[in-house]
Amino acid sequence: MATRKKSLLKVIILGDSSVGKTSLMNQYVNKRFSNQYKATIGADFCTKEVVVNDRVVTMQIWDTAGQERFQSLGVAFYRGADCCVLVYDVTAPNSFKNLDSWRDEFLIQASPRDPEHFPFVVLGNKVDLDNRQVSTRRAQQWCQSKNDIPYYETSAKEGINVEMAFQTIAKNALEQEAEAEVINDFPDQIILNSQNNRPGNPDNCQC
Amino acid sequence: MWIEPKELLLPSTFWIAEMYSRYFVLQKRRGHGESRGFGSMLVGTYDSVWNTKPAPYRIVHRTPSSEVSYEIAIGITQDEIAKDWEWLQANLFNVLNEMENEDEVTNFTICKIKSLYTQNNQDETGETADFKVMTSQFRQTFKMPEEERLVNSYSATYVKNKIPRQGQLYISLNHVCFYSYMLGHEVKRIIRFAELEDISRNANTIYLKTTNNMTYNFTLIFNAGEAHLLIEQLNKMAIQQLIQDPESPVVDHDPSNFARLGAKSSKKPVLLRDLTARQKSEEFRIYFRLPQTEIIDGKIKANIWTPYSKRFNAGYIYLSPNFFCFRSDVKDLVSVVIPMKTIKSVEKKDDGQQRFDNQIVIITSENVPFMFAQIVDREVLISKITDLLSRIHVPVSRERAKYDISWSKQTALMNTFKTQFSSDIIRNQEEKMVRWEAHFRDFGRGIGMFRTTDVINLIVEGIPDQLRQEIWLIFSGAIHDKEMNPGLYEDLVEKAACIKDCFAHDEIDRDLPRSLPEHPAFQSTDGIGALRRVLQAYALRNPQVGYCQAMNIVSSVFLLFCDEENAFWMLASLCENLLPDYYKDKVVGAQIDQGVLNELVETHLADLHEHLEQLGVIKMISISWFLTIFMSVISYESSLHILDCFFYEGAKIIFMVALQIIEWNRDKLLKCQDDGEAMLVLQNYLEGIYNPDYQVPPSTDKRKMERSQTQTVQTLIHEAYTKFGEELTQQRIEELRNKHRRLTMRQFDIDNEKTVVKAYLQNPYFDRNELHMLLTIIREEKHALKSMQQQQKAQCSLSETPQLLHHQSPTRVPNDPVLGGSNGRYEAYWVNYEVFHTLFTELTPWRKCVSVDLGEKLFRLTDKKGTGYLDFGQLINALGLVCSSKSMEKLKLLYVLHLPPLLSKAEIERSRRPRPRTKDDAEEAFEAEDFFDDDASESMEALPSPSDHQFDADDYALISATQHLHNLAGISGNTFMDLSRNTPNLSLNSNTSSLAQRNSTFYVDLPAAALPGTTTATATRSDAGRDDDGQEFGLRQQGRYESIDTFSDISDLGAARMTPPPGATAGAASASAAAAAAADKMLLNVETISNFSQISDLVAATRLERADSNATDSRSLGSLGYLLDQPDEGASGSHQTIPHLRKENFQLLWRSIIEIMGCVQDEEMRMAYENLLELGNSNIKKEPSLESFTQLNLGGSGDEQPDSNGNPTTPAAEHSSTTRLFVALEEELRQASGKPSSSRGSSSSSTNTSEAWHISINQFIATVLTVNTIVQGFQTPIQITEQVEQLQKKRRKCLSTNY
Repeated sequence: MATRKKSLLKVIILGDSSVGKTSLMNQYVNKRFSNQYKATIGADFCTKEVVVNDRVVTMQIWDTAGQERFQSLGVAFYRGADCCVLVYDVTAPNSFKNLDSWRDEFLIQASPRDPEHFPFVVLGNKVDLDNRQVSTRRAQQWCQSKNDIPYYETSAKEGINVEMAFQTIAKNALEQEAEAEVINDFPDQIILNSQNNRPGNPDNCQC
Repeated sequence: MWIEPKELLLPSTFWIAEMYSRYFVLQKRRGHGESRGFGSMLVGTYDSVWNTKPAPYRIVHRTPSSEVSYEIAIGITQDEIAKDWEWLQANLFNVLNEMENEDEVTNFTICKIKSLYTQNNQDETGETADFKVMTSQFRQTFKMPEEERLVNSYSATYVKNKIPRQGQLYISLNHVCFYSYMLGHEVKRIIRFAELEDISRNANTIYLKTTNNMTYNFTLIFNAGEAHLLIEQLNKMAIQQLIQDPESPVVDHDPSNFARLGAKSSKKPVLLRDLTARQKSEEFRIYFRLPQTEIIDGKIKANIWTPYSKRFNAGYIYLSPNFFCFRSDVKDLVSVVIPMKTIKSVEKKDDGQQRFDNQIVIITSENVPFMFAQIVDREVLISKITDLLSRIHVPVSRERAKYDISWSKQTALMNTFKTQFSSDIIRNQEEKMVRWEAHFRDFGRGIGMFRTTDVINLIVEGIPDQLRQEIWLIFSGAIHDKEMNPGLYEDLVEKAACIKDCFAHDEIDRDLPRSLPEHPAFQSTDGIGALRRVLQAYALRNPQVGYCQAMNIVSSVFLLFCDEENAFWMLASLCENLLPDYYKDKVVGAQIDQGVLNELVETHLADLHEHLEQLGVIKMISISWFLTIFMSVISYESSLHILDCFFYEGAKIIFMVALQIIEWNRDKLLKCQDDGEAMLVLQNYLEGIYNPDYQVPPSTDKRKMERSQTQTVQTLIHEAYTKFGEELTQQRIEELRNKHRRLTMRQFDIDNEKTVVKAYLQNPYFDRNELHMLLTIIREEKHALKSMQQQQKAQCSLSETPQLLHHQSPTRVPNDPVLGGSNGRYEAYWVNYEVFHTLFTELTPWRKCVSVDLGEKLFRLTDKKGTGYLDFGQLINALGLVCSSKSMEKLKLLYVLHLPPLLSKAEIERSRRPRPRTKDDAEEAFEAEDFFDDDASESMEALPSPSDHQFDADDYALISATQHLHNLAGISGNTFMDLSRNTPNLSLNSNTSSLAQRNSTFYVDLPAAALPGTTTATATRSDAGRDDDGQEFGLRQQGRYESIDTFSDISDLGAARMTPPPGATAGAASASAAAAAAADKMLLNVETISNFSQISDLVAATRLERADSNATDSRSLGSLGYLLDQPDEGASGSHQTIPHLRKENFQLLWRSIIEIMGCVQDEEMRMAYENLLELGNSNIKKEPSLESFTQLNLGGSGDEQPDSNGNPTTPAAEHSSTTRLFVALEEELRQASGKPSSSRGSSSSSTNTSEAWHISINQFIATVLTVNTIVQGFQTPIQITEQVEQLQKKRRKCLSTNY
């Protein structure tokens, strides 16, 4: 597994309910916006081929449920993620406040090897709306305080910045991959262990 | 207690006579009590092995000439039997002595005793005397409280280390216990139901596995099946309790409900009967889809006449308070549900052939006759029905004025928003209607229809739109709930409309347009409004569920076909009956069913299972299948069809269809390399499922056009039924659910534990393993405590009949007082006072201290905000310090724990009176304090109970004062842990930085006057310094001191102590320190704060002020508390002084030390004590104005980072700011008190001499640290893992603890 040439990037989209995670994903993948999405239950899934650094990679985008009581299900989706997209709604201050807990939750559940430098991207969605409540500056400050997370303001409806944001996501995810490969040049066993351990959790559950 | 007289042939074997009279003997069983002779041992073994369970005392009646004796009374205690004996003495002895004939005597006695027995037993619970004895033995043996009710006991063999032990298996509401006594060797085991991870049975052996990986096996020769079922059931109840409302009682035990049919007195214990009835009721309710409140009353064998087939079908009649049901022996052949309130008449009929024997005819209000024949016990049945009918409570529909006219109930939306179907589909619908109507003619319509396989077939073909509401309501059982609660929906809607700022409402509003957006009904305000009302009303009805995403999707479909109120009741029956616990926190029910599905895949699709397991697909994809009954993954038209079946089949259809879907994609799934691919395979397949009978005309949504059709939903359902329908029974699902409920809850615990451990991994005291152990034990103790409390509650609310919804109150205060944390993960490990106290006494070495309740003090000290809870960070800091080897810090903590107000005067008073300490002592202490409260000046020291968090302003000040002490002790857990609690942060830097902040900064006020710049004492100092150095090296060689800062303390304190008071200077101190630092690479800086008053003086001043004016005291106390609390907010932690200790407190402190040391006091200790007393005396004379405070800012609390803080730094700016703060504080208080207290001189003169006796912390520490025994005693670290293991063992084996 570890030596597999990774042409697959796993991207997780997190954020409060109705901040526009599904819309962003669909805007990016299908170049379409619809106001007819149902609330996501559990998780949704899309793939897209992208070219990053002259390399064709498949991006697996996992769109998750935003309601808090679904958070405990996240573990199943988080594992093996290459990049985590945190989305908030610029018209909903609470969704911005909760970014902290989403990030922490992800780091705890996904247990990436290098939590310090795990690539996150923050998207402030719905900038097309008038009643904006979270200022760019505030969001940028937060992102800076968390190890300079790249920040984009997007509109899934208008398609603003979506392409660019996901390009960054793909790029960062790929870098993370590359770094991981470099790091893991030597200790192959560790990766094997971690790969074996993680499916172990559901095992415990079924025994 | 009197018993039914029993003949005895061997009246004295195994018994010792204790009292004699002419006709009576009071006997005591051998093998009980103190006598431990061989004979007793044998008898004990005999009792244990042969399940004889005799009461230890009995009274036997016998006559001198007869060989037959009668056992007439038994007693568990001597007192009890003595009472009976006295009664005999008073009432019978004389009477009997006057009789001449011995037979007469015997007859009279037996008659008398019998009447006594019946008299006494009338008001009792109906338990047999044997069972009562058994219960009390159980309680005694396992030290169970009164509330723990025994269900039954079985003779069993427990095999441990291959040695079988014969004994008794006791099953109580919360525990499985085992007791055996074999030739002097006692074996006790206690297993809590909530901690069972696995239960299985193989023939006569029951295997149990607990969450601690302990395994047990018990072999039962008789009743192994019953015991196994009982264990399963009680375990299920225990686990459900974890899921459900923690407030709900364990058993809604209402004996009147269980007045059974043909109630022949059963020999089984009442509770066992209750539980069996409960179990049966559940099956009954699930099968007939009856409301949760229905409790089965009994069943009776009978045949039903089915007019459509013109024959009788054998089966059982089931009765419950509101329903008369019938179910055929042949599965699904026929079943009937007749609500009691619709029964118009019940007639006996005796005509015709033999097969019409014992016939009754029931006629419903719609004049539909139901004929039953060959009823085994017809008279009983009829009287029972009559009885039930007379008690039936028909809710009157409350005609009431609507308060809110802004809404009206929406009728089924499909009528308003008509879909334009093609003519084919319309024809198809009409054909279906015809068939359904034909069916209604033959089988009846409405609730009382004959439910047969024919109806299943019709349903599987699809219900026509017009009938959906009717059929759904009947088969989901929602109709019963609706009819029993007329008007409730309107009430809820209107109440919900009044609630503002509700989080659930925000969530609902956000999801309204995202429920069924493609349907025009939900693009209009009518549909959206109705959906909002339904969801809000349900959130109000069931606060435990509130609103969960997916409920919106399901409800919107209901609203299309049903009117609003019906949709509400269908949602209710979905959440409460059909899909239990699905929408609760963590969607736990759905997660459990995912586990079930996983296991079903393993059994039915074994080849796929391993592969899917590896990909982790099932967990990922199936949650939405369960939560929305496929509605969010399959097109709306197709999912409707599944929904039709769902109301008839329940969750079973979800499992069947899920298995079928996986099975169908077997080959594709096997080829998948990763989870994403598998998801895509299933997604594509699901999107392609279509319904040819019910095609909604292509909408504008392009996605629909793109879909490639994979499968008709009809085929899917049909195949699912044929492949899995037979094997998947409701019973099997329930069994699997029980198992996975356990496993899922266990998994939650494991996940939580891991997360919490990760968050607290950086604490200074415990490593990963120890943290895990601690969390485990906290969880166990909390469960144990909770179940006990619940039982107490259950006992109190016994008479209350359960409401339809057990949580009617809309505003329930959350259990834990503070918000925050994600998913309550951290809160799960908060401990309250009781748990903390248990942990403290069981795990820490300070349990040995009995004269002062250190656990209570430590709790108060650590519970900064007076919440009544400690979070895990606080707990590990508190326990960690006590168990650590940091002798210096521990002594400091001990000192602080003996300061007022933690140790109040009342307590000191009380501790002088010798009295054994009990657990309830804390309460007594407060009573005692009330008693002492007359003294106004002392009321300051009365603290509210630690578990009570209703504080007034006054209390708040006191709490703040404790907080102050708390900061001083440096165990706050706040500076370090709160950061990581609020933002469980993996990034190292933030944690280390907070760790750095946590370095114990503390202050030592020199007893000697310190005047800056004085140099006279240099010579003395250097001598002292040398001495100290020598001492230090000596100590180091002995390896006693592990940390540098401890050293610096010693040297410095030592220097200060040895220096003649007038000569010592701060300069000297710092020089000494510098010398020490140079010598030992030890770094510290000294700051002198002069003209500074002590906190104790402030407290004294405040108290005076308090006495002066009552009007302002609480305010100023509050401000004191506030100011005291201030420094905590500062970045560098607390900058305060530790108050001095007064004599009484000191004496108690000393006693505590001695007790902690194990009640030995050697010469050295005695010397130190004398020294300290002397020091205190000399302190009286000292002028406080000369006192100053020297602040030592010492490097890292351990050896972690000696260099980062190590260099001598100049006092930081914040130090001086703190100084200013204190000067200001002092000033303010001085002004407020209106006295020239100015702390110097005047304050000491204002207090009398006994109060003026004091020693300061550094005097204390310095002296104590010279005592080798104490240092050694305090330096021994305690292995928390060992302690925890011991405690677990103790709990398991029911060993007693007496500290």
